[in-house]
Amino acid sequence: MTILGEFALWISLPVAVWGMVMGYAGGRTQRGDLVLSAERSIYVVFGLLILASAGVTAAFVGDRFEYLYVASYSNVELEIFYKITGLWAGQRGSLLFWALLLGFFASVCVFTNRKKNREFMPYVAGVLHTIIGFFIVVLLFADVNPFERLDFMPANGQGLNPQLQNYWMTIHPPTLYLGFTSFSVPFAFAVASLLNGRLDARWIQLTRRWILTSWLFLSVGIVFGMRWAYEELGWGGYWFWDPVENASLLPWLTATAFLHSIQIQEHRGMLKVWNMSLVLMTFLLTIFATFLTRSGLIESVHSFAQELRIAYMFLGFMGAVLAVCVVLILYRLPQLRSENQIESFFSRESAFLFNNLMLLGVAFAVAWGTLFPLISEGITGQKISVGPPFFEMVNFPIGLILLTLVGVGPVIAWRRATRRNLQKNFATPVVVGLVTAAVLWIMGARHELALVTFGISAFVLTVLFTEFWKGTRARARIEGEGYVLALFHLVTRNRRRWGGYIVHVGFVMMCIAFAGAAYNIDERFNVQPGDQMEVVSPFGHTYTLTYEGLSMSLGRGQRNLLWQAIATVSVAQDGVPKGILTTEKRQYTNRNTQPMTEVGIRSIVREDLYLILSALNDTDGAIRAESGAQGIDLQVLIKPLVSWIWFGCMMIVFGTVIALWPSVDRTMAAQASTSESETEPALAEAAD
Amino acid sequence: MNKNGRFMVGLVGVAGVVTYLIWTGISETMVYYVTPVELLQRVAADPTFHEVGVRVGAQVIPGTYSRVEGELLHVFTVRDLVDQEITFVVEYRDALPDTFTDEIEVVLEGRMRADGVFEATTLLTKCGSRYEAAPEDLPGYVG
Repeated sequence: MTILGEFALWISLPVAVWGMVMGYAGGRTQRGDLVLSAERSIYVVFGLLILASAGVTAAFVGDRFEYLYVASYSNVELEIFYKITGLWAGQRGSLLFWALLLGFFASVCVFTNRKKNREFMPYVAGVLHTIIGFFIVVLLFADVNPFERLDFMPANGQGLNPQLQNYWMTIHPPTLYLGFTSFSVPFAFAVASLLNGRLDARWIQLTRRWILTSWLFLSVGIVFGMRWAYEELGWGGYWFWDPVENASLLPWLTATAFLHSIQIQEHRGMLKVWNMSLVLMTFLLTIFATFLTRSGLIESVHSFAQELRIAYMFLGFMGAVLAVCVVLILYRLPQLRSENQIESFFSRESAFLFNNLMLLGVAFAVAWGTLFPLISEGITGQKISVGPPFFEMVNFPIGLILLTLVGVGPVIAWRRATRRNLQKNFATPVVVGLVTAAVLWIMGARHELALVTFGISAFVLTVLFTEFWKGTRARARIEGEGYVLALFHLVTRNRRRWGGYIVHVGFVMMCIAFAGAAYNIDERFNVQPGDQMEVVSPFGHTYTLTYEGLSMSLGRGQRNLLWQAIATVSVAQDGVPKGILTTEKRQYTNRNTQPMTEVGIRSIVREDLYLILSALNDTDGAIRAESGAQGIDLQVLIKPLVSWIWFGCMMIVFGTVIALWPSVDRTMAAQASTSESETEPALAEAAD
Repeated sequence: MNKNGRFMVGLVGVAGVVTYLIWTGISETMVYYVTPVELLQRVAADPTFHEVGVRVGAQVIPGTYSRVEGELLHVFTVRDLVDQEITFVVEYRDALPDTFTDEIEVVLEGRMRADGVFEATTLLTKCGSRYEAAPEDLPGYVG
């Protein structure tokens, strides 16, 4: 099976090259047979990549440690679940997995468009083949072949790092990769429109669902990674501005900007070059993130030397794509002229434009901060690095402006907002925002940045709920429906708009959660059994924690023996018992002897109580179960509002799914979307 | 001034603010990334460097780790990654990451006190995102 997989990977390269040539040639000559061949090649490449991936998985499941990749990420004892997911545990497999997912999306794209959009499809197939082909070339020729064999047969593999043996870590990379790869489709359509000269908003309309899907996977993938860090890394945080995290954030930022700016092109025929640039930038950043996350590059320019070939290949590919696209955009520049001009500073176009600038500003700052050590080392020889304080200093102010725009965008008028439009829509929300901040201040919240965030969040939420309320009430009045039914119909009649608002509510919830971190409590104790600790929550109540004792055991974790030192703590909130929490240190007895901490989390809507067993006073004594060796270091964190991140993420998923949901009746939906611009203001007027 | 011109002013303004934020952000939060050799040279040449926050990549010397009883204070000695002769003592007052062992490569942030002890405020262990084995580490390696 593994041999077959390796064989399939080699065969896939000429097929992809063939498909690429046929795609471009078919588009140029308009010959249907060439186009058909290009499209069928996509299916063939996808099939071959399935075989190759199955080959890697078979090597994992069969404990074939003569393969370097398997030996590096698995061992005999590893649970079968992690053997199967070993395909994306490391760089080699991840690159194959990337190609596999892109093969899947390319096949879906070709299949759903087999009878339509013929003017785009030849080039789309050509571009997709090019990208897949590039990844196959990297796999085969950049020293990252997952089928590379050792010249000896190890008795056992290295095993998987225990920190990676976590549910969230297993689904986090594939979710991100789904986002990365599905973005290749809108990119392919953009390039196709540059090649075939159909430069209106058609390519955007055709790929709107792809863009949203990709954005959804990116967002959820990033949040999964935060969740993993929060549960597994054991320091109570979820974001460290680590280069790897930043790399996944960059394409999300530009994709978010793109998602907004395409609406200006659809409505007003503006920003065509800008949208082309954004789609290109986002695509390049997905490639960059793929490259960066699985290489050691960022630590120093010196690690470049170890990864010279793959680094040059990736940079070469990105450079070539950039060059070709810039030339194409310049060539088509006359046709990419704006059909309209921005008429006023106070208009929705303007709000969206500022949203774009802010997102790109954040992206630029994040990229700069991430690459700064490399740049300074390259130029001055002196390595200078910036840490989380830099990212917070720059991104918090920009983030607050973005948050404000979330409230401004939906209700400010297109083209030119009148004073009446502004007063009518913003007077109440602004007051609500100010009152919220004032009330929180009176209640004792003193952190300025958090107060500003809460105030702006209240403003935005008021705007959004007012929109829902007005729409529902107008519909209830006009159609004579009950409020629940009216709300349902309101949302289903214009899913994009209302789904988008729900996504924004989710985003605001996450911002509230981020601001809540300003009130984090962090206390450390060295305790003996029976000791009590008191920790006061920022919400005013007091946790009384009693350290009950330590239990040591040599247990069977998964399939490995492991030492577990479990500290039990009983929790009382204002004197009311709230059960027990455990936190433990564990250490596998096989080759991966690095200890791990399992934290204890008690999560309620307003805050998490987070316990970390930092260290044992006397590990050897504890293992011998000596009664005097039960002292521990316990770190107690209170993390206000942290679960709002996960709720906000669910809200974002919910809203995006609404926006994506296929219409039941396509013709009806088509009519609705053309008449939407007339009925919506009518509803709005009726609401007053 | 026409509409587009006024808009350009707005755009330039936004770009300017972002640049300003990045500029001040970097100058206020940057730390020098040095090797132990460089750190000791700098401190010897310029005593004010004791006050400067730095980031040092170094190797923990096996067997030097100890913990002050009853306190959350860890003490260990590190050496330069290349020049084994260059060493200094590190004090760190916080919970150590799980990946810490007394033979690991660490990245320390903090400052070198006048008494020659490095007071670390953060400690990161180097493992990167690859988590990949070198062939030499595998059982049965024949070289």
